[in-house]
Amino acid sequence: MVTLILLELRKLVRSRSFYVSFVALFGFVLLMLWGFYSYVTIKAGAQAVEQFKYTYESKSYFNGLTFSLYSVLFSFSLLVPLFVTMNAGNTIAGEAQAGTLRMICTRPVSRNSIFLAKFLIVALHTYLLLAFFIIVNLIVGLVFIGWGNLELYPGPLNLVDEPGKILLGESLWRFVYASFSGTWALLVIAAIAMLFSVLYDSPIMAVGITMAVYVMLYVVGRVEFFAHLRPYFFTTAMDFWRDVFKPDIPWISVYHYAAVCGIYTFGSLLAASIIFERKDITT
Amino acid sequence: MAIKLGLAILLFLSLTAAFYFDPPDARSPLGVQRNATTDHPHLKLMTWNIGYAALEDDTRAHTSDLSAVAEIILKNSPDAVALQELADPSQLDLLIDRLGRRYRGFAGRMNRSDRIDAVLVKHGAAQFAAVPTSRADAASAVFHVRAGTQAREIVFISAHADAYSAARRRRYTEQVADWATARLKPETLVFLAGDFNFELNADKETNFFTDNVKHDSEAYSYLLRFFRDLGRDAGDTAINERRIDYIFGPQDSVVLVHVQVLRGAAVGRMDHWPLLVEIEL
Repeated sequence: MVTLILLELRKLVRSRSFYVSFVALFGFVLLMLWGFYSYVTIKAGAQAVEQFKYTYESKSYFNGLTFSLYSVLFSFSLLVPLFVTMNAGNTIAGEAQAGTLRMICTRPVSRNSIFLAKFLIVALHTYLLLAFFIIVNLIVGLVFIGWGNLELYPGPLNLVDEPGKILLGESLWRFVYASFSGTWALLVIAAIAMLFSVLYDSPIMAVGITMAVYVMLYVVGRVEFFAHLRPYFFTTAMDFWRDVFKPDIPWISVYHYAAVCGIYTFGSLLAASIIFERKDITT
Repeated sequence: MAIKLGLAILLFLSLTAAFYFDPPDARSPLGVQRNATTDHPHLKLMTWNIGYAALEDDTRAHTSDLSAVAEIILKNSPDAVALQELADPSQLDLLIDRLGRRYRGFAGRMNRSDRIDAVLVKHGAAQFAAVPTSRADAASAVFHVRAGTQAREIVFISAHADAYSAARRRRYTEQVADWATARLKPETLVFLAGDFNFELNADKETNFFTDNVKHDSEAYSYLLRFFRDLGRDAGDTAINERRIDYIFGPQDSVVLVHVQVLRGAAVGRMDHWPLLVEIEL
């Protein structure tokens, strides 16, 4: 099993898409910084813009931690899942398209071992993506804006119902928690992508269908008409990851939705492994 | 086979955990504003010490003021009202009459005190109980509110801590808080309302050789372990710039919509103003 994992890790590191995803996320951070800077200039004037320099402690609401929070929250919805889906959707279908799937399945290891090794590497890639993204945001936030306490206000983030804050030290730990809770949430879409990767021999189909399902549920879940359907969408459960940024983490809710994500993840993986085991590989 | 079995076990554990950990509220997705709908009904709560200031001959509530008190209550239409310093249960009956019997009420036992606390609720099926303490019993009401598909049980307590001794205030607060927390359940929302007389501002302390601030701050902190101070931002509730009337509610699972001290509502020589809190379930 360890050998399988190491082989899959080597494949991952040698693939171009692995590095493209990190570069794209870095570009997104720069875009967010530009947007943040121009927003502050327009809304708060020169005085707030003066905060945009290296300071360890920023006295403004617009500090590096707020910047990181917004950047991570809004990229998590569509950007990071895209890269996760691309990687996961390519695991089996990519090998099938390349013609190497039959060859690796003739090795004296079970198909499920191969499948599990691939999923573990997808999980590792997901965590590395998220951790990298959070770290880059925090560093950019520190260097260009300055850190301070994480101020939270009622609004579209839906984190608090009244103004609150998380102190600097604690808020850094919250970003660490978010890397794990976010990874767990993203494993849902990774598992679904791997299921479609098993069902289809084309990685484009696997990625496309996964993203279509994800975006459809994501959009529908935000339309008030379908509010009563929200509890049944996996996108609703995936959203739990950002509860770690609430001043008082609602642990019961976190455990519940993490378990729901687990249902989707392990359910998809179980279905995929059963199908993969019985799959007739013709390519 | 082992891998499939492992995945099946993990799936089963996830299912079990999802049922075991039952959050009180549904999620609000990123970017979706939470609007008040029938799924999130509003609840208005009020507390009012209708007694008179300390320098008066009789600092308890005066019967002649009850019409004005009823007018304020009807005008603001709270779902539950906590009243303190009523002279006797007959005043509560009279107040209910003045309210056109739109409310049902209950008064706690006087015990060794000379005044009582009472609750008024609109809900016709509310149940009442006394909260035993070392002074006059606090009064409580239990009623249900439907929030979407869920019925939430509301426990509303009217309390009045000692005005003169911080140590007795602390003991009383602990007794009421322990009674209230014993009733905390996932589907139950507990509110403590009343005149707790906490003097938390050391700037106003004239005698630094007492433990008043220590007792009051520890009593207040004890409450904050389990509850949230909903009226924190409303300002002073009594004359001489004192914030001594409180409504404590759940730390989460409710949205604070509005909080207000109704300055100008005091009649006669009352030294407290009503504190009104509106929450969304």
